[in-house]
Amino acid sequence: MHYIEVDNLAFHYENEPVLDNISFQVNSGEFVMLTGENGAAKTTLLRNILGLLKPTKGSVQLSKKNRWGTKLVVGYVPQQVASFNAGFPSTVLELVQSGRYPRGRWFKKLDKEDKEHVRRSLESVGMWDMRHKKIGELSGGQKQRISIARIFATDPDLFVLDEPTTGMDVESREEFYKLLKHNSEVHGKGVLMVTHDHEELKQYVDKHIELIRKEDSPWRCFSMDSCKEPSKHHSLSH
Amino acid sequence: MFFYGFMQRAFQASFLISLIAPILGLFLILRRQSLMADTLSHVSLAGVALGMLMGVNPTITNLLVVVGVAILLEYLRIIYRSYSEISIAILMSGGMAVALVLMGLNNGGGTVSIDQFLFGSIVTISQQQIWMLLILTIVILILYIVFRKPMYILTFDEETAFTAGLPIKVMSILFNVLTGITIAIIMPIVGALLVSAIIVLPAAISMRLSKSFTGVILIGILISVFGMITGLMSSYQFGTPPGATVTLVFIAVFIVTLSFNKVKSRIQANNI
Repeated sequence: MHYIEVDNLAFHYENEPVLDNISFQVNSGEFVMLTGENGAAKTTLLRNILGLLKPTKGSVQLSKKNRWGTKLVVGYVPQQVASFNAGFPSTVLELVQSGRYPRGRWFKKLDKEDKEHVRRSLESVGMWDMRHKKIGELSGGQKQRISIARIFATDPDLFVLDEPTTGMDVESREEFYKLLKHNSEVHGKGVLMVTHDHEELKQYVDKHIELIRKEDSPWRCFSMDSCKEPSKHHSLSH
Repeated sequence: MFFYGFMQRAFQASFLISLIAPILGLFLILRRQSLMADTLSHVSLAGVALGMLMGVNPTITNLLVVVGVAILLEYLRIIYRSYSEISIAILMSGGMAVALVLMGLNNGGGTVSIDQFLFGSIVTISQQQIWMLLILTIVILILYIVFRKPMYILTFDEETAFTAGLPIKVMSILFNVLTGITIAIIMPIVGALLVSAIIVLPAAISMRLSKSFTGVILIGILISVFGMITGLMSSYQFGTPPGATVTLVFIAVFIVTLSFNKVKSRIQANNI
């Protein structure tokens, strides 16, 4: 089932084309990595997919339903999330709990299952002991980890992640990739992740989309040649 | 002083304002719209002046003008996303200019002095104003209880709120409208010049005292009640203007909190 369907997308800032001829799908149970050099409009492409920007040409379909026929829940980690509002008056626990709100909890109290999700998410990134800390008191790496915990607390059908491992050490990155792979392979989640660590990540992903600069354009405009199937495949079924 | 009817009404109004000011104040600060209260209070003056010129109830024109500008502010905030203070500067000076021109046109025709709206008159508050304030307080408290989770996400990050499926434009406009209505109702009580201080300062102080979002709201309400009541009593004792006295109490509490936090962090640094 297609969670994301991008068809011949082009995007212009003012009159300057930055993306052209982009077409791909992200399916349920698929882990897709999106790469490209600095300034390759990777974030712009994600923002088009999420509806934060409107494509100049072509279309983006974000599925309304998940593979069980209920409302598709999207979990988005923006780029440089660690620089989020440092003065925001919230504890780590409050922020991660807010990840449960899109799971039908906007107007309901969090129940035992929600709290268990939150606990496990915080434990998975090693931040449970810091749950009563104010988020402004955390280091950049810790903020990154609670943003990831928040997404895991949401338990979304589709993960859209923009360089989520910035500032993480190699071991934490490996753990994170395995967790995402497990989510896509075992639980059928869709994952679209922008990264610069494609060498590390390629053994986990099902599809690799690389944005490359168009040689026939006078602008810094990026396109894709085709979706590549990575050579190695690391299975985590259990 | 507690036996005078006017002082009883002043205390009732102060208490009701204390319940709602920190809630609106916190969201305004977090959405980087602290000056919106100031802008709307200046625009509010234009609404009052328009009512006086047209010979209709100034409360009605005040509400209509402020709500209209509150919606316009959201539109300008989107246009000038990087420099949102531009819209504040345009509308604040524009509101004051329109108010002064309308008053000039109405030379001698008005029955109420503009000074009353500039500086407020909490001790001349009517029973009708208390009822309006009570209804407004109930509405805001209910809306806060129902919508606190969506508002938490909206103020944390609008893009996260959007991808979570929240109608961020509608929510932002409704929040601005609610802020506008609140300012239109409390401006004649506390005065256009001080309304933003009374809304923003308690939340700004409590943000330095609590780690949690809910804690900031609760402590903000306590600080607001303390500041409003202490300010009102001091104003009665020393014969000073009530709105200005309340604001000075808040500023004093802000300075004490700032000093306390600095001393606390120095002690903690020395202990490490």
